[in-house]
Amino acid sequence: MPIDKEISEKRNRQCSKLVEISKDIVRQAFDKFKPEELGITWTGGKDSGLGLWIIRQVCQEKGIPIPKTMIIGEGDEFEEIEQFVEKIKKEWHVPLEVCRNEDVLKIANYTLNAPVKVKDLSERNCAELKRIGFDGEEFPFEAESYVGNHLMKTVVFNQFLERNRIKGIFQGLRWDEHPARFHDDYFEFKEEGHLVPEHTRIRPILHFTEKDLWDTYAAFEILYCELYERGYRSLGAKTTSQISIEGVPAWEQDLENTEERTGRRQDKEKAMERIRQLGYM
Amino acid sequence: MKNVILLTIDTLRRDVLGCYGGGSLTPFIDSIQDHCIRFNKSHSSGPYTQAAFPGILTSSYYLEYGRQKILSGKRVLISEVLKKSGIVTTGFHSNPYLSGYSGWNRGWNVFYDSMEDEVDEKVPYIKAEKINKKVETWLSSHVTGSRDKPFFLWLHYMDVHEPYIPGRKYIDLVDSSIRLTEEEMLGLFKNVLLKRDVSNKGNVEVLRKLYCAHVREVDERVKEFFEILEKRDVLKDSWVIITTDHGDEFGEHGGLSHDGKMYAELVHVPLIIYEPARENGEVVDTLVSTIDIPPTIVYLFGLSQVNAFQGHSLFPPEDYLEKGVAGEAVDKHGSQEKGEEKEVHYYREGDLKIIYHERGDSWELYDLKADPKELHNIIETSPYAERMKQVVRPRIRRYQG
Repeated sequence: MPIDKEISEKRNRQCSKLVEISKDIVRQAFDKFKPEELGITWTGGKDSGLGLWIIRQVCQEKGIPIPKTMIIGEGDEFEEIEQFVEKIKKEWHVPLEVCRNEDVLKIANYTLNAPVKVKDLSERNCAELKRIGFDGEEFPFEAESYVGNHLMKTVVFNQFLERNRIKGIFQGLRWDEHPARFHDDYFEFKEEGHLVPEHTRIRPILHFTEKDLWDTYAAFEILYCELYERGYRSLGAKTTSQISIEGVPAWEQDLENTEERTGRRQDKEKAMERIRQLGYM
Repeated sequence: MKNVILLTIDTLRRDVLGCYGGGSLTPFIDSIQDHCIRFNKSHSSGPYTQAAFPGILTSSYYLEYGRQKILSGKRVLISEVLKKSGIVTTGFHSNPYLSGYSGWNRGWNVFYDSMEDEVDEKVPYIKAEKINKKVETWLSSHVTGSRDKPFFLWLHYMDVHEPYIPGRKYIDLVDSSIRLTEEEMLGLFKNVLLKRDVSNKGNVEVLRKLYCAHVREVDERVKEFFEILEKRDVLKDSWVIITTDHGDEFGEHGGLSHDGKMYAELVHVPLIIYEPARENGEVVDTLVSTIDIPPTIVYLFGLSQVNAFQGHSLFPPEDYLEKGVAGEAVDKHGSQEKGEEKEVHYYREGDLKIIYHERGDSWELYDLKADPKELHNIIETSPYAERMKQVVRPRIRRYQG
């Protein structure tokens, strides 16, 4: 169901303008790279969903298929997101690859918080742990801990690039989602590093605020995951995402004066991990 | 109206700066002294980041408000005061204790804490070179966008903080006979520094020299930063306050790094204020504290003082009432923080410094004139011991119900 919200004509024009800016970034990406060198990151959430909708528009105008799209299976998913992803995949003909770190998932027996012994992991995963300075013998399986996040998301992301020889990858980040995003650019070139292939990150919707985003969803009747109707504002792993206001759809909440990411635990994990690496604790 | 810039360099010992009598590690900072007021007796409100930064950015003490991991809402950040008055506030740093998650992001128009960025596995923070770049990007957009609006810019360099893994070039400038590989330096960090093992004097000396190499490098970053200010044509309109949160220990009192101790190598800190119009350097011997920084910034912007701030503006100097300086911490050891920490307090007045340990309810007193290294505890013999205890006791009691 599209969002039931009245959008004024003026606001509608503003949203169209924002979408045009994004389309222009996407067009530049297609000028720079061949379609098969481009990839899309999708989570089923509102940001990457808007990105995908915009990329699809540009593809339709060019008469080409949507680039290869990845979604990360981190082992802690909402069923609602999975169903939504399935639905959109069919309707929009998204060439979707579900990417998982099977090695870790198997050892954890697909069970959250199960202990994962480092010595049981594949060589690649061990090398990745070494790369981020983790030298413990085991860790609990959890997608949003520092170690879990790296193995379940970063590694899987890098492997997707490698496997498909992706040179440019679309991301659904926005400047206003976190102060640390302030310096992100529409195009960011990443040099080749140890276990990281050279690539360019393309962020076509950087300029959308959370409010712009929901108004655009309403103005263009874009489909979204029903969890947002129930009060979630930011979706991550199932067990670590929290409802912001029970029963109040995301777009009806006070988007401009309250924090979008209050439901997420990752910020804490990151700070704690850095503190540990500095030798404290 | 002028801008105010606060440049804090984590873990910077006072005695490594040339202008404080420390040799030739900081040629750039030494070279600007003609335009600076240098405070000879500045003290930090605590010996590690969490204990010191409430002083620097909120003019309050560490143990107030229950020592929460998340910054208490009762503390007022200098950024909150300034932003309300229409001053553009920006902060750029990479210290995980001061992250947005911990609540230090209140009141900033722009706040960068690096937590979303990937960091090196060995040195887990964003270095000054990148902080400078981020500041320059912001500065260029500010200068073109809202030039007439004054700004408060806080930037914090982590580069001197352990693990000490300086580049070859800077090691050579300190002692070219040191030929350690990065792995070996990391080994010293893990096996000597983290274990607080001072049994081998040679190892401690190597650690100290590696630290000095970082200081030599950070001086170049400060130089770079001043060049950016000049290039963007804002240096002439900006006060620049340079200080640190705390120093670092190399065996002076049986330890390494910066744990909950209150000796000079950790709490007697550099404080330098660059003043664009000044042509003669000045050295001030008044006893001052880093909790005086927020009220000083408020004064420099011409705003009225804030009740919540416990320090006093360092300007105008004739209005500054010299009192004692104090600091608070708990006796944690960095690598093995447990739940049973006890409070530690210090207080300095004139040349006397008293330290109280809640653990064992014990005291230390030093006469800094006769014993600047704080090695001879005179609490049992000094005629001033009782009076100094009396001054400190109310400070201790305010946290004990």
